[in-house]
Amino acid sequence: MRVLVRPAQYAALALYILFLGFPLLWLISASVKSSGELNSLTVSLLPGEWHWDNYTEALEKQGLVRSAANSLIVALASTALSVVIAVPASYVLARLKGKVRAAGVGWILVSQVFPVVLIILPLYLILRTLGLADNLAGLTLVHTTYMLPFALWMLQGYVAAIPVELEEAGAMDGASRLTVLRTIVFPLLAPGVVATAMFSFVSSWNEFFFALVLLQSPENYTLPITLNMFVGGEGKVALGPLAAGAVLAAIPSIVFFSILRRKLTSGLMAGAVKG
Amino acid sequence: MKTRRMIAATFLTVAGLLLTACGGGGSGAGGDGPVTLTFQSLSDQPAAIAATQKIVGDWNKAHPDVQVKIVQAGWDGVYDKLITQFNAGTAPDIVHYEAAGIAPFATDGYLADLTQYLPEQKRADIPKGVLDSVTVDGKVIAAPTELQSYVVFANKTQLQQAGVTIPTGATMTWDQLRDIAKATTKDGKFGLGWGLSSPTAAFVALAPGFGGKYFDGTGTTAKLSVGQGEQALPQLVDAMAHQDHSILPVTLTQSGTKALAPFYAGQIAMTVQGSYQAANIAKDAPKGFDWVVLPPLAGSAGPAQAANPQTLSVNKDSGHVKEAAEFVDFFTGTENLAAINEADALIPPTTSARQALTTKLGAKNGWKEILASGEYLTSAPYLFAGKYAQWKDTVATPAYQQFLGQKIDAAGLAKQLEDGWKSVSK
Repeated sequence: MRVLVRPAQYAALALYILFLGFPLLWLISASVKSSGELNSLTVSLLPGEWHWDNYTEALEKQGLVRSAANSLIVALASTALSVVIAVPASYVLARLKGKVRAAGVGWILVSQVFPVVLIILPLYLILRTLGLADNLAGLTLVHTTYMLPFALWMLQGYVAAIPVELEEAGAMDGASRLTVLRTIVFPLLAPGVVATAMFSFVSSWNEFFFALVLLQSPENYTLPITLNMFVGGEGKVALGPLAAGAVLAAIPSIVFFSILRRKLTSGLMAGAVKG
Repeated sequence: MKTRRMIAATFLTVAGLLLTACGGGGSGAGGDGPVTLTFQSLSDQPAAIAATQKIVGDWNKAHPDVQVKIVQAGWDGVYDKLITQFNAGTAPDIVHYEAAGIAPFATDGYLADLTQYLPEQKRADIPKGVLDSVTVDGKVIAAPTELQSYVVFANKTQLQQAGVTIPTGATMTWDQLRDIAKATTKDGKFGLGWGLSSPTAAFVALAPGFGGKYFDGTGTTAKLSVGQGEQALPQLVDAMAHQDHSILPVTLTQSGTKALAPFYAGQIAMTVQGSYQAANIAKDAPKGFDWVVLPPLAGSAGPAQAANPQTLSVNKDSGHVKEAAEFVDFFTGTENLAAINEADALIPPTTSARQALTTKLGAKNGWKEILASGEYLTSAPYLFAGKYAQWKDTVATPAYQQFLGQKIDAAGLAKQLEDGWKSVSK
């Protein structure tokens, strides 16, 4: 009986992975089906006929590569900015005591309450005054501003979880404030930084509304805006090319996640050893 | 979604008034160089994008001093984009949208009056009902470019096998449709499939065929009344679905496009769709699938349908209203309208362009009937009812779904629609 437990565990895990991955499998399948097959009653995972034109259309006719490059630039830049600002700010926020901290935390929560449609016009006007409307740098600033409260909120939780006693022990051993931060706090904070970076990247990568309103020139469009072009008036949807575009759009995210996942694991381990 | 839009519209209008000091007016290059006009186009089909580019290319070639630059945008979210652009003073010079969407911008004073710029001959070429759909407070605020109607696509083989004589007249009645649906409902197959998951647009658009208007008046003072004319079509669909059992039930909860799959599979003999689906059917139907478009449907008041055309408008704050209006006039020339509508499989809004397209494509499957249905497009009072979009999503669609699901009767439906309108238009 004990011999069967391990295979059963693997089988359950395989089924779970299949369950989680099914939407992606379905998307890939849809991306190589013809329009006729996508609009038929016969449902099958494998396409009856492989139809690569969807990819050609997605890549050539809608400028998907250029949009993906724009998205990548904005997502990486806003992720880097968010993390660089959020790490020291969250440390201060977590370690501060009293009314200033309460006010800071309160402001973070309040800033999440406003619907984006209410802030878009002032934002647009400010960016235009700065000469940053219809500009990837402007969009990066907006994404950073929008993501920062949540990144701060996330990271200050990680900082708060690091016992102050560890920093005090380091100081007692004669380490300077910077050494304590570098050798004790940052390694323990690394998983939180990675998780925050992942969150920031995905938020920026998928962001639609700000990009829709702020970007006017097609050469600046990000991926969600370009994918949106596959949805037409009167409910018309170019399902095959849209699926192909979505598959291609998922690749950079998957690559980014697989790189950061390793860091997340090593960060967790580093935290475990130090802790 | 619509509520969010309403909140956004209100906020942005107020904020826009406060912040206009930061904004400039319109676009277009000043100085010694040529004028550059921005044209935000929503064309989504590859052929339509190509046709648009050709028209703009022709214009630019003929007008070196007034160059038009296409800014390609998508339909989804365009309302939010436009409301921000108008409030911030950065809207494109030429705006592509639809009559139902553009009317509120006209009411708020963002659009130029094109009456003086569109030649008398052009206006006379547009049927009155269609011209009415782009006329706000007596001003022509847009030029219509493309139209769609609701038509019946039929599987010719299934109709013939059922011994049905396929109608060929100028129009056919809804009663004829009901009879054909009954005759073709057999052996587990249904006569009709109609994607009515969001039924309001179809019911409101087809109501004029029964004398239904829904709305009287404009803006916030518009009144809604649901009488016999408005109730006739929902009741007919209800009777076909629940008395005749000639409508495939699942389609009542599906989108229009989803109802095409059972049509291709021979599960239904006919389907009511937007006329543009002719292009998709020609592309996606199985090989050998023999389909036709039946003549335009006529109710007790004739074959009229409400028109909600795609439109081109001019930003009132554009620095070059006259030039932009001249481009709109050029874009809506007979040849150009024929080309763009052929590419999108839609109906030209001018009589001359419709005739040109009939001459060119009349022999092609479905086109003759679809283009003929364009003759019966008429004014749509709902376009000018201020809270129509909110009422449609939050009141009418749920009410119609309850009615078609037999949760409420006709009296209950009328009460929900009217009370709901009073509530949203307070």
